[in-house]
Amino acid sequence: MASNGKTIAILDEGVGAYRPPDPDGMRRHVRDNKDRRLVDKRMSEQDAVARFVADGNYVSYDTNTWRRGPSSLMREIIRQGRRDLWLAAKFSMHDATLLTAGGCVSKIDVGWMEVGSVITEAMNAGRLKLYEWTNGALAYRHLAGALGVPFLPLRYVGGTSVFRNSGAKLIEDPYTGQAVCLVPAVNPDVALIHVNQCDMYGNARIFGPGLAPVETAMASKRVIISTEEIIGTDEIRKHPGATTIPYYIVDAVVHAPFGCYPGTVPGLYRADLQHLMEFGVAQAQKKMGDYLEKWVYSVLSHTDMLEKRVGIEKLNLLRAEETHTEGYYT
Amino acid sequence: MTVALAFTTNEAAIVYTARMMEEDRLYFVAIGGPPLLAILLSKQLHAPKIAYVVEDGTIAPEMPVPTPAFMVGAGLASSRAVAWTDMNTVDFHAGLGYLDYGVLAAVQIDEYGNFNSTFLGDDFDRPARRFGGPGGATEIASLCWRTILMTRLDRRKFVRKLDFMSSPGYLDGSAGARERAGMPSETGPYRVVTERAIFGFDEETRRMQLLSVAPWSSVDEVLGQMEFQPLVAADLGSLDPPTEDELSILRADIDPGGRTISGDWIQLEEFGGRLRRVAESTPTRG
Repeated sequence: MASNGKTIAILDEGVGAYRPPDPDGMRRHVRDNKDRRLVDKRMSEQDAVARFVADGNYVSYDTNTWRRGPSSLMREIIRQGRRDLWLAAKFSMHDATLLTAGGCVSKIDVGWMEVGSVITEAMNAGRLKLYEWTNGALAYRHLAGALGVPFLPLRYVGGTSVFRNSGAKLIEDPYTGQAVCLVPAVNPDVALIHVNQCDMYGNARIFGPGLAPVETAMASKRVIISTEEIIGTDEIRKHPGATTIPYYIVDAVVHAPFGCYPGTVPGLYRADLQHLMEFGVAQAQKKMGDYLEKWVYSVLSHTDMLEKRVGIEKLNLLRAEETHTEGYYT
Repeated sequence: MTVALAFTTNEAAIVYTARMMEEDRLYFVAIGGPPLLAILLSKQLHAPKIAYVVEDGTIAPEMPVPTPAFMVGAGLASSRAVAWTDMNTVDFHAGLGYLDYGVLAAVQIDEYGNFNSTFLGDDFDRPARRFGGPGGATEIASLCWRTILMTRLDRRKFVRKLDFMSSPGYLDGSAGARERAGMPSETGPYRVVTERAIFGFDEETRRMQLLSVAPWSSVDEVLGQMEFQPLVAADLGSLDPPTEDELSILRADIDPGGRTISGDWIQLEEFGGRLRRVAESTPTRG
């Protein structure tokens, strides 16, 4: 099939499901729901999840449970028993496993994620459906969502089984006549982003490399920021170049020191390897129920978990042993 | 019997890959794993200023050695970089052609250098064994000028037909196959590095070609460990075993935590001025 000069030929397409891009729907959502004023958006993790995460939502997070990710918000989602979520697992760690073990997930767009018995058993039982992408393609789909366009061309994914199991299309580029791959924009219902610093309005600072926190925030209809530290707006206005997510994109600001625990926020605290081992052992021994009971269901909140299950001594140790701070807070 | 040298399959592939690395080229690696360890080893051996870019947006870090035990969850892996960007940005740089070599690990590979890192089995929805997915391997293998793949030589890995093609090599091997699938031209797999053999790809047919074999192994042994039969170069090279120096830098200076001591052990002894294999543990893993 070739272009006749008036139409663009679709040379091939994958069979994976995706939510049809709707840039105008996104614009309308922004027009009708996003506050343009500087308003105090601080709230508890319970309120943020109750108000902004619903059953059936497409959820995207950044980074992951091991590094500067919104671990405390994920535990709250499990505590509140959300169901049928569709996750974007772009360079995910055990996030997807945790939420699947909690019964919250029915679909995952996969770039990379930690996979063990929880994921494979859910797949084999027909409770979980995976769609194939790559880390970069997912980050790029969020970029398309952030740009407000329905799709973007890219020069990979084509020719592979990933293409076949994704929602990508291969077209003849009307400018060069060469084949080029298209991927659909994603506009998640909700983004969960853990940041280093943020003011009460949602002006957020992220230190260190990352996946696609800015694109993810911009692309998403609702944005929950959990932050290690809430800082004054005066401080924000003194260093405007440090703000990467401006307030009007943000719906909720949740103060969550050690919010990535058991992962690391580089420059602030190291990962709790002992805890990560405990997670691995629980999965290997098929005792995820016990793990969730201990770390999620039997505590009231993130703060409660830190106090009752981790303890101040351990927290101080994790901070003290994160000795390499250059580039983050200096 | 004196064992002159003992190393694991993983260590050997890291050492051979490190030897190939050039200081005037830019490398793209995923976070953690043997490719990154190969770069760190090349820095200690012959390419102290070699620069690499990591999928998480870290550009040209100077990661301290010994490496932290847990690289994905360690800020140290990104330390002393020249820039901290993000995933889209470094993929853009690769798309523009700045990234010369992508170095990747593969679970399964076919004769055209296509590879699998997604699942084993015949049903995508009910995998016999599911892995993490391609991660950044597909963009790295598509956008870098050349791809170097690292794996162990094993019949279950060098297969006629992949269970799933996560990332592209030369696809079906036909001329222009990558371009027809939307990839940049003049790109593709360059080397496949294993513990006992290194392969390239024939320029005409795009089929995998055996380039060099370890002196303690043989062409027959190599071919016996592959489900498909590769081309064999007329001027077959010899693959010098890892030296004590290389192994000691890798073990003591870079990775005292023992991350690289994985795979099977190969033991060599000196016999008549030559190294020969006296023992090899039986492959047990898929």
